[in-house]
Amino acid sequence: MLPLTALLLGLLAVALAWPVPAVLARAGWTRRDPVAALVCWQAVGLAGGLSIIGALLVHGLSPWGGSLPEAWWAWARHWFTGAQPAGPVRGDHWVAQTLAAVLALELLGVLVLALVRTARTRARHRALLELLVDDVSGVDARVLESPVPAAFCIPGARPLLVLSSGMVAELDPAELAAVVAHERAHLAERHHLLLMPFVAWREALPVLPAADRAHDAVRDLVEMRADDVALRAVPGPAGRRTLAKAIVAAAEGGAPQGALAAGGGVLTARVTRLLEPPAELPRWARPAAIGAAITLVAAPTLLLVLPAVV
Amino acid sequence: MESLGELERAVMDQLWSGSAALSATELRDALADRGLALTTVHTVLTRLEGKGFVRHDDARPRRFAAVASREEHAAGLMHEVLGQAADRQAVLARFIGSASPDEAAVLRALLADTP
Repeated sequence: MLPLTALLLGLLAVALAWPVPAVLARAGWTRRDPVAALVCWQAVGLAGGLSIIGALLVHGLSPWGGSLPEAWWAWARHWFTGAQPAGPVRGDHWVAQTLAAVLALELLGVLVLALVRTARTRARHRALLELLVDDVSGVDARVLESPVPAAFCIPGARPLLVLSSGMVAELDPAELAAVVAHERAHLAERHHLLLMPFVAWREALPVLPAADRAHDAVRDLVEMRADDVALRAVPGPAGRRTLAKAIVAAAEGGAPQGALAAGGGVLTARVTRLLEPPAELPRWARPAAIGAAITLVAAPTLLLVLPAVV
Repeated sequence: MESLGELERAVMDQLWSGSAALSATELRDALADRGLALTTVHTVLTRLEGKGFVRHDDARPRRFAAVASREEHAAGLMHEVLGQAADRQAVLARFIGSASPDEAAVLRALLADTP
């Protein structure tokens, strides 16, 4: 009996479409361990996609068999041999099949498009920067002439780290080192790859508030993680203050219009956790969070590949 | 042998430093200390045109000019970096000032309150 599998997957999909992201986005512990929180968000994204597509697929193919592998095989064979399904195929089965295919194609398609577009933009930026800026020895980054304080890096096989001349003028050498360490952390840990699926899926599912929430949370968490890694280059309480000052200096120098104020308070959150570091999570917390993330992905996967529960 | 990237920079520096458009021969002569063949100069110019940094007119011989000044390119790039497009952080991780005046005040107070 397939519908129970479909029902369980559907319930999981609903939970992952709203309550779970809402709770995770509001949770206070995520600031204390951005790595565990990032793992959880990746799991929510993956499990959410699997469960919604899986639920539709299982329901759509239910006339053909009792478990997804079996039903899929029977369904594929029926196109070649004309073998008839065991049960009657109703309209809702066709609708569910179609929706599953459309959703799967859309999520993957948008992700591929985003990757292609991003690669093109990066190539253009890189070509421009290679003509415009010099390698500066000592700073460990290239300097672009611009009064607005900014630092950015272009990820890729040959990553490029750029500071604006405004940034160099605004910060003292220790603060600059902290900013460079922060940007290097983004590059070293491939944070752009963690963020990319959420950028794509927010675009694919504009009606889903969870997609927005997940994107913003992941964007803020990678910043906090990069702060944590940067503190290794500027250690101690003095280092925390140095990085906090760099964040504030950059924030004050920029922001010529209100349109730039879309940070959503993440700067305040970052500066607060640098200046008044929250107590570390208990030792069991990170394994527990990662265990929960693995369970979250395993549940829909098992529901899909194992024979029907009943 | 210099890399194409370095030659592209040398050619762009020439085009950016002068106001007039230059022919390939003039560019070769301006870069005489590098001892470039005319075909090399043409290769570099074609690459730069492909990347959208250089355009040529229809005079004979063709004369090449920069599409935009160095400052315009820098300003355009910064505009993109600072822009609000949703995928910006995925294209390039950035560290910028993105605080509203209110938030900037809060940040200053936070720094002042902690020793």
